[in-house]
Amino acid sequence: MQLNNAQVVIRPRSPWEAVDLGTHLARQHAGLLISAQFLAMAAVLGVLSLVLMDYPTVVALIFWWLKPLYDRLPLFILSRALFGERPTLKQALRAWPSQMKAQWFANLTWRRFSPWRSFHLPVTQLEGLNGKPRTARLNVLSMRNSQPAAALTIVGVHLEIVLYFALFALVGMLLPPEVYDGWDFNPSDWLDDEPLWFAHLTNWLYLLVLAVWEPFYVAGGFTLYLNRRTELEAWDTELTFRRIAERLQKGSAALLLCAVCLLPALYSPSSLAAEGLCLPPSSEQLPPEERLLNQALTSQASEKAIHALLDEPPFSNPTTEYELKWGEDEPEKEKTAERDGKTPWWLKWLINSWKNSGGIARAFEVLLWLVVLSALAWLLWHYRHWLADFVGRLQNLKPAVRQRPTTLFGLELDSDSLPDDLAAAAEALWPNDPRQALSLLYRGLLVHLLDEHQVAIKNSHTEYEVLGLINAQQLPQLARYASNLTRHWINLAYGHQLPAASVGPALCQAWRIVLKAAAPLTAPATQAASA
Amino acid sequence: MPISSPALLDTRYPLETPEGVDLLLQPAGLLPRLLAFLVDLIIRGGIVLLFSIALVSLGRFGWGLWSICFFLISWWYPVLFEVLWQGRTPGKHYMGLRVVHADGTPIGWSASLIRNLLRTVDMLPLFYSAGIISLLFSQRLQRIGDLAANTLVVYREAPLNSAPLPEAPEVIPPHSLQLDEQLAILDYAERFAQLSPERRQELADILCPSLKLRPEHAQASLLGMARFLRGHA
Repeated sequence: MQLNNAQVVIRPRSPWEAVDLGTHLARQHAGLLISAQFLAMAAVLGVLSLVLMDYPTVVALIFWWLKPLYDRLPLFILSRALFGERPTLKQALRAWPSQMKAQWFANLTWRRFSPWRSFHLPVTQLEGLNGKPRTARLNVLSMRNSQPAAALTIVGVHLEIVLYFALFALVGMLLPPEVYDGWDFNPSDWLDDEPLWFAHLTNWLYLLVLAVWEPFYVAGGFTLYLNRRTELEAWDTELTFRRIAERLQKGSAALLLCAVCLLPALYSPSSLAAEGLCLPPSSEQLPPEERLLNQALTSQASEKAIHALLDEPPFSNPTTEYELKWGEDEPEKEKTAERDGKTPWWLKWLINSWKNSGGIARAFEVLLWLVVLSALAWLLWHYRHWLADFVGRLQNLKPAVRQRPTTLFGLELDSDSLPDDLAAAAEALWPNDPRQALSLLYRGLLVHLLDEHQVAIKNSHTEYEVLGLINAQQLPQLARYASNLTRHWINLAYGHQLPAASVGPALCQAWRIVLKAAAPLTAPATQAASA
Repeated sequence: MPISSPALLDTRYPLETPEGVDLLLQPAGLLPRLLAFLVDLIIRGGIVLLFSIALVSLGRFGWGLWSICFFLISWWYPVLFEVLWQGRTPGKHYMGLRVVHADGTPIGWSASLIRNLLRTVDMLPLFYSAGIISLLFSQRLQRIGDLAANTLVVYREAPLNSAPLPEAPEVIPPHSLQLDEQLAILDYAERFAQLSPERRQELADILCPSLKLRPEHAQASLLGMARFLRGHA
């Protein structure tokens, strides 16, 4: 046995954990273990069934009784696999008969019902002990582990039964009703005299359960045994000691020189002294001492000053709180009075009504339904946004109504405030009040954008941002006109620079052409007026 | 002791936090979990029995109350205990177990509800068979509810208490030792009393050549090194 080759982490574990390690180990080799166990047991059960064809119950009993013999096979596989020599299926099956020999009679008779079966098996099979040495060894091994080992067996027994019935239930669940509709099935009949094939089928189902569970059971006992030996013989310590020896010997040739030079330095008296050095006890532990008495600010005075400071805000904030309390004597009296007197009237009433009728039950039923309904209502209300977003109401998927600004840059944007024929009005205003005329045109442009093109102009936009929005509309003529108008308007409004006299009529003329072209849906009245 | 190689099989499941700290979770297997379940079952059965006795005289109303209590005890008992009591039900507490998320964080409402509601699946087809099979064959010993909620049932860490060391004069190790090696020597001293005399010598002999110890003093020297390594508490 080479501990270095162990395929599991060797360290002392609690017994429960040791059994868990068995589960992990069995799962790692589950394919091999289950198939080997299945084949071995199938061979036994096949022979038994053939020989005792007419006595399926006897077959089941013998098959079950022989369980300790099948356990030898997974233990053989596990003990090899643990040290990295996992056998193949063929090797394992071939080794099985030789593994069965040791103490088979004892295991099948007086040790058959031992609750520590799987825990003791390694001592018998792997250590090959018998008689007194075996007993002594088991006494040492079982000291702390007999309880979990027994628990493993007891749980195992129940698990076999549970899985066996579960397998039946599963088959029953999966059978289509057509299959057993035609059967003349009556469970009470079958209890007395079940059909032969059915009895044999149950034996084979039991074999399936055993094939899955038995490796886990044996592995649990095996790892418990390993764990106990790890504990008793300090296997993990041995492993690390061997590593130390290996490391130090490997490096020893190279280290020899260094060691000779360095070791005395490392452990020289001075370094030892440093290790033994004790810090003086910290000042907090010392009793306060009166020091510095020969100066203006003595230690006492300074301490007093510090405490005075610490008692003031922000270090300390004393507050006075008032609260109302019930008088403490009176309720006491009341309570005792109540306790002294007989049962209070409301309790009597409650008990009576409980006893007398289902009325109160009915009332509570209504109450509970109300609770359920209000919980439902609360849920609906709580998730109302979620529901609105994800459930139904597809017809309401309108674009959100856009907020239309009422004024922009201090200009009123109400279509009613504009004259019907804007170009003519602007032209009329131009000679006397060019500022009014340009303002009218610009307002008209904004209103036109908002009304006809649904441009999303917001209060926060500047004139140039509005131009950008117009460019995005893909109307080159309108964009050009708008940029022209905006430039003149900005120059006039903010820069007080009057455009040339010819600009006004040109803009008005262009207004008629451009806005008509850009908006074919303009009201016919406007068209008529401009014509 | 550090894990020597990730390829080796172990019952611990290392979990590296963002800070680079390795947490070791120890998922618990079938046996302790089954026993914990049995303890819980007995407690729950006891409570239901008490309610039955108390409520049987109240007629129809009593039956109604009993049904509500039964519902609460069968479905909310594990959830409430797990969430409000650090992942423990009384049974798990008794067996030294607790439930955590797979990343080691304490279990919350949603995970606890999922893992306990999915008991209905674990129960299929009879007596938790699906759960048992899932537990035996899953890497971290999880039943189906655990897999769905991504939770683990782990052993609670036992408080560390170091055993007293046998008396021996302090010895300074002749070589500098790595952490796991120092721990092994400490371990040797702590378990000294449990080892057989032959085994004590056998273990000490391993280190004789490399630490330049004479076999007859090897045990005492190792104990002395352990005392030196532990230092003065």
